[in-house]
Amino acid sequence: MKMIRAFIRPEKEQEVVLALEGAGFPSVTKMPVFGRGKQKGLQVGPVHYDELPKALLLIVVDDEDQEKVVNLIQTKARTGFIGDGKIFVSPVDTAYTVRTGEEGL
Amino acid sequence: MKEIIAIIRRDKVPEIKQALEDIGYPSLTIQSVDGRGKQKGAMCAEMDSEMPESFCTTAKLKPTPSIYALEHTLPKVALYVPKRMLTIVVPDDLVTKIVKAIVRVGQTGKHGDGKIFVMPIGGAIRIRTGEAGGEAIA
Repeated sequence: MKMIRAFIRPEKEQEVVLALEGAGFPSVTKMPVFGRGKQKGLQVGPVHYDELPKALLLIVVDDEDQEKVVNLIQTKARTGFIGDGKIFVSPVDTAYTVRTGEEGL
Repeated sequence: MKEIIAIIRRDKVPEIKQALEDIGYPSLTIQSVDGRGKQKGAMCAEMDSEMPESFCTTAKLKPTPSIYALEHTLPKVALYVPKRMLTIVVPDDLVTKIVKAIVRVGQTGKHGDGKIFVMPIGGAIRIRTGEAGGEAIA
């Protein structure tokens, strides 16, 4: 299993989540976060924004679905401008469902 | 060393904290998150384990779409249920014990009890002293 952490534009979150739902991955955890990247924030005229609001999506999928989900997030969250975000993938050993105590997604 | 990420009901946090304390491993990080699972955030019973079914129809407490979805009238919105996310970094031998404790205490038997993920973690450092590895989380 893999955990996919996607930092995306907050305004793209609904579009991404609905696309994932359509592809058969309805389970998502999201949280609002603030961050900056290579560009060290955003300069608009004299105003400098050091940290910009982003939406962080956590999605855990089986190994074989990883590529599909990453591609889907990428196509839906892309605008082509700086600040589209990053996607990180990390390994997950096991998942448990609290309701039943069973292993697996 | 393993990282346990548990996404659980909001009202179970105090009990789970107590249960972890009883095990002797009280360290944890708590975050407020919004989640959706196989039920796509639409289940009323997910909101609160104590809430009667009839309460849902009064629309006082509904799963929350994001602020963006509320501001823009979208044809379809993704719904979320407020949850708490616990992050616990533990030595390998404690993983089963802690997972079992969270399952035991966090269980209500209804949809929306949450998920627990166990992930490998590369290392840990205590910032105060600079200790690394197992000592940092002991």
